[in-house]
Order: sequence, then C-alpha cells, then structure tokens
Amino acid sequence: MGKAIVITSGKGGVGKTTTSANLGTALALQGKKVCLLDLDIGLRNLDVILGLDNRIIYDIVDVANGRAKLQQALIKDKRFENKLFLLPAAQNAEKTDLTPEQVKKIVLELKPDFDFVLIDCPAGIEQGFVNAVAGADTAIVVSTPEISAVRDADRVIGLLEQRNFKEVPQLIINRIRLNLMNDGQTMDIDEITRHLSIKLLGIIVDDDQVISTSNHGEPIVLQENNQAAQGYRNIARRLLGETVPLMNIEQAEKPGLFLRMRSWFKKK
Amino acid sequence: MKSIVLKGHNDGYEISLKDSASFTDILKELKLLFADLSVKQTFNQQESVAFEITTGTRLLLAEQRKAIEAIVSAYPQFTIYKFSADVILTSQAREILQQKSLHLEGGIIRNGQVKELTGDVLFIGTLHQGGMLRTTGSIFLLGNCEGILQAGYPNDSAAVIVGDFHRAQQIRISDAIAIIAQEKQAVTAETAAYVNDLHVLDYTKREQVKQIRPKLFARTGGL
Repeated sequence: MGKAIVITSGKGGVGKTTTSANLGTALALQGKKVCLLDLDIGLRNLDVILGLDNRIIYDIVDVANGRAKLQQALIKDKRFENKLFLLPAAQNAEKTDLTPEQVKKIVLELKPDFDFVLIDCPAGIEQGFVNAVAGADTAIVVSTPEISAVRDADRVIGLLEQRNFKEVPQLIINRIRLNLMNDGQTMDIDEITRHLSIKLLGIIVDDDQVISTSNHGEPIVLQENNQAAQGYRNIARRLLGETVPLMNIEQAEKPGLFLRMRSWFKKK
Repeated sequence: MKSIVLKGHNDGYEISLKDSASFTDILKELKLLFADLSVKQTFNQQESVAFEITTGTRLLLAEQRKAIEAIVSAYPQFTIYKFSADVILTSQAREILQQKSLHLEGGIIRNGQVKELTGDVLFIGTLHQGGMLRTTGSIFLLGNCEGILQAGYPNDSAAVIVGDFHRAQQIRISDAIAIIAQEKQAVTAETAAYVNDLHVLDYTKREQVKQIRPKLFARTGGL
C-alpha cells in the first residue's frame, strides 16, 4: 500500500508544481513507483513541466465522472520505465467539478499499485485545496523565505492540522536565495522552521536552471551537479526513511579573497 | 401539613416545600395554607406579605412555578418574591465553573485561526501573526504572542491582559481596540492592559493590576 502525499502551500508561485515534478522524478530514480496527481483543475501545468503535455487524452475529471477508466487516463513517463505516472488535471473544467469523495476514491484506487501518490494542490484554501487534501495520508508544505509565503504556509498548516493526518505535515523551504539569506534580508531556515513549528523535510536553493530545465519539460533532478537537484534528491531519500543531513548552504558561497586574507590575520 | 412548612424569619416569611413530597400534594397544601392565611390575616394587619419559596434539593420547572404563582395571585395581599433551591443544574454549574476558573491553554494558534474560550486564560502556547485568542475573561500570558489578543469578549471591560504582549498585533478588551505598533506609550514585557474609567484602553505596570482590579484576586478555590 503506497502513501498519498499532498503538496500544498496556500500561496501561489512558491513552487508546488516544480516540487511535485522533481520529487516524483527523484523517487522514481530511487526505484519507487510514483503517481503524480495534478489537481490544479483549469490551470494544469504539471504535465508541461514533465514534458508530457502532448500525450494527454483523458484527465482526472473524465475519470471522476466515469468517462474514462483510471488506467486509460494515466500517462506513463517513458524515461523511467514503469516508475513514473501522471494523472493530468482537466483544462475545460472547474475546481467545483470534482468532489473530495471522488478524489478520495481515485487516490484509494491508486495507492495499492504505487509506492507514492503525490498530489499537486492548487493555490488557495478553497474547493481545490479541500479536494486535494481529501485523499492524502500526509502533507508537504512548500514555502519560500518570503514573509507572505510563510504566513500562508502557517494558515495552511493550521487547516491541515485539523484534518488529523496519520503523519504530521512536513516543510520544504524552496527558492532560497543565499545572498539574501546570508545577509539577513530574508528569514533564515531556523527562523522559518521554528515559526511554523513543523518538521523540516528539506531546503532547495533558488537556481536559474530550475526554470530553464522546466521549460524543456525536464525536471531539474535529472541534472547531476546542481544544488537544487541535490536538494530534491535529499528530500526523496528522507521520504524513504534515510537520515540525510541538511545541505550546508552557507558553505556554498565562499568568501572573497580579501575576506579570507583578513581572517588569517584575525586568527593570529 | 406534611409537604410544606411555613417559617418566619427576621427578614420575612419562607415557605419550604419538602423535596420528598409529591408536587400535587404540595399544590393542594399550598391552596389550603393560603386560604387559611388570608382569613387570619384580615384580623391582623392589611399590609401585603411577601414569601420566599424554598425547594431544597428539588428544582422547579417553569410550569410548576407558574402553578404556584397562580395559587398566590388569587390573594392580592400575598406575593412571592423569590424561588430558591439548594441545587442548580449541572449545565449551569459547568458554566459557572467555566466562567470562574483559570484555563490553561497551550498549543499553537496559527494564522487565520480563532481560539475561543470562556473565563480567564493562562496562555503558554504560541500565537502566530494573524491568529486570535479570544476569551470572555482576562488573559495572562507566558507564551509567545504575535497575533491578536481579545479579552472580555464581548463586553466585559473589567477584563485585563497581563504579560508580554509587546509583539502582539492588536489587543482588544471588551470593545476597546489598540494596535500595539501604533501605541505612543512603549509597551514592554512588564505592561498590563485594562479599560480605564473613561472606557479607553490604558496601560499600567504589571504590579499595579492588583490595585486596579482587586476583584480578580478575590477568588477562593475553583468556584
């Protein structure tokens, strides 16, 4: 029996879909069978990021309404032999066209066949959110170090806690800009984690390549020497129960030559 | 006369209804008693007499009270000024307990959440920005507060907020509201808030609360 995880944030544009795509891919690379569920009805784009958009025939609303069988609507990502599947969102439908019960039924149907069912939640806390969390066993809350994202994450965690999941929600801090964080211009990782009082699952640094690879329909995780990709791979390993230490992002930025020389003198 | 007893006190007359007697018997005997009294009273004086009806461990229903009042109302010189019993409903007792006892509240109140309580609250949890802690009584703080505190909801201006609220967004007592960041007077960890005689939210030092609201401290035990 697999685990259904909803990936949510409250605020839009913090990287829910990118996280879903990359986490799904990273888990598939680890040999797990993963199904991605796009619940952003009307504005689907998980398929685009994965490069599967031109293969969509049926979508989740078709499945919910019985117009298609679940197996017919699932799209297999051929890059990961039988490991990664996508159930796409509908475009010509609205969030109200799905009910939480329908989503729950689909998730329950998927869980026996997959190790992970990752549900990509739309922004907001209305019907789309309610649908997305309906079938989930636990949640991953994505936030960026911006105050507005953290505030929305707080709101969403409050709503998630009322649902009494089997496992408590966990946090991913996304799009960390090292220069701003090291300068103290944004909240730092400890501050955000302490404020939200939930377990930190991982951190992802902001990287231009995340956007450029997404544009080619290729998740960043497939890049070997990329910090953001490493972040996603670490998160996937933590989801599988491994203990992986948090990336030391402060080290990533080496001080300039002058500062290093000055520190030599300070020691003496 | 087995079911009811008429007693005279310094401060008036009391008719005690035995809680073991049946109510129909009580009504019968009350009728006889008042008929008897009305005859006797005409010889003595003409002033009206008020009775307190005590019911021991019995609670009278509204209809039962009406039945008794109906008997008495036949005699204009007699009135009932009070019904009283030695007992109250458990729901009432619970309500009183809620109102009077100090509630310990922990946990996190997150953005958008409203925690509603009754009575006085000792808050040792975390109140996030955008969250609200609301109670009918006073709030005493040990926890971290960055949201909105509302004491004396909806209209008890005797409530106070004591503790470190200098990082809160707003405090409200009864219908008075203060936005902490805009306050002219510096709010520190040692400040207490109350509604003053002019019905304006005012601040004082923590140790002054006893002088301002002595009633808060006049409490013995749970009730």
